[in-house]
Amino acid sequence: MKKTNRLIVGTAFSLAAIAVAIDHTQHRLPEPVAATQEQAVSDDSDESPCGLSSESPCSMDDESSSPCSMDSGSDDESESSPCGL
Amino acid sequence: MVESVIQKIKTDKLIVLFSLFSILALSLFLQNEFSLKQALFFLIGIGFGLTLMYAMFGFTGGWRTYIRSRHSVGVRAQILLLAFSSLLFFPIIGKAFPELSAHAALGQIGVSVIVGAFLFGIGMQLGGGCGSGTLYTVGQGQTDMLITISFFIIGSLLGSYHLPWWLSMPNIGKVSLISELGWLPALLLQLAVLALLYQFVSSREKKRHNAVQDFSAKIKHEKFLDQLIYGPWPIWWGVIGLTLFGLATLLLAGYPWSITFAYGLWGAKIWSALGGDVANWAYWSDGYTAKALNQSVLADVTSIMDFGIIFGAMLAAALAGKYAPEGKVIPKRVLTAIIGGLLLGYGSRLAFGCNIGAMLGGIASGSLHGWLWLVAAFSGGIVGVKIRVWMKFDKPYGKAS
Repeated sequence: MKKTNRLIVGTAFSLAAIAVAIDHTQHRLPEPVAATQEQAVSDDSDESPCGLSSESPCSMDDESSSPCSMDSGSDDESESSPCGL
Repeated sequence: MVESVIQKIKTDKLIVLFSLFSILALSLFLQNEFSLKQALFFLIGIGFGLTLMYAMFGFTGGWRTYIRSRHSVGVRAQILLLAFSSLLFFPIIGKAFPELSAHAALGQIGVSVIVGAFLFGIGMQLGGGCGSGTLYTVGQGQTDMLITISFFIIGSLLGSYHLPWWLSMPNIGKVSLISELGWLPALLLQLAVLALLYQFVSSREKKRHNAVQDFSAKIKHEKFLDQLIYGPWPIWWGVIGLTLFGLATLLLAGYPWSITFAYGLWGAKIWSALGGDVANWAYWSDGYTAKALNQSVLADVTSIMDFGIIFGAMLAAALAGKYAPEGKVIPKRVLTAIIGGLLLGYGSRLAFGCNIGAMLGGIASGSLHGWLWLVAAFSGGIVGVKIRVWMKFDKPYGKAS
């Protein structure tokens, strides 16, 4: 019985690990692309503390006051934590 | 009084090695892929898992034992955990230390919390675990808890779908004791209430049994280090451990420890992978939830800490020779695991969390909804215990269980 239990638990953990790996692979951030000189000149990075495009992790924080931080700057904790969700 | 005995431990070396390797590998991966902070969240989760498993710190069992027999060790340990956590959290959240910043786990006080926590309380007794209990018993390798956690996830997903409707029900909004009274008066008031509660449950136990059980471990080793590594820990070690890891979470994350948000997230991700249109549900369409849905599960702090609890409990169980305990899962147990899991998941979404996120996090950070959660969930627990007797899982009150 103990062996069966270990087999069941092992299978469940393996399936969970595969699911996490698939999810992580699907949501990987794109590799940074080296900017050409022309792109660098037209880049408006001076206007943003992050200097990254809308696909960057900085812009994932919606309308919170700091685009570079997941936690700081927002008075509404629903934007920065799972509490009260 | 608890009788202490010395017992020979049969450590499960293979599982010890596997869990140590997994912990090391995942920590390094998280640091490399995300940040050191993300790896630290995982390690704090490991700490929670070790503590929960070694001290066998169960909210469900503690409540059930008190309801059935008035033995109050578990309940008193929970009260102490709430008191110590409040003592540390209130000054930080109340900005007594301006250099430290943290949010309270606030939730609106209303019908959704009452209904959700009541259902959760029933689910705890039927499912055989709470938010933290489900995770560490899964880590311990209990096969029946795999069913409970699977339906916990499904219930969370359903709850997230229905939550907007529940939130439209009558409520008085969020109430922070710290904002209303100031952190020091609020803390003194809360400690006074907890002291009264501690006294009340102790007196009920003394009245029934003419004595109050102490906090010592049931099995004692000769050496302190053996007790620390192989367990079991006295339950007060568990109180200290959970308090300290809770403080670490608050300081690092900026908000109290939570567990069940991740269950809903896992459900939403699985449903999305199966073709479901979760992203357009109101709950998942905006803010923190939408962000979590659209990034790797390993980027989600709650998920990472939950994984940590599972691996921490696995390591502790293997060291203590308690991994994958023997036991056949009977059909009736499958049924209660399914129903209990669904109630746990659905209830936790409606009530803004479980015994950790809503009760411990809420009360310790001065949110009044945490107290409402406690009353409603304990009431549900009484119903759940009666259902267990009716289903013949437990003997009627007054007889040995």
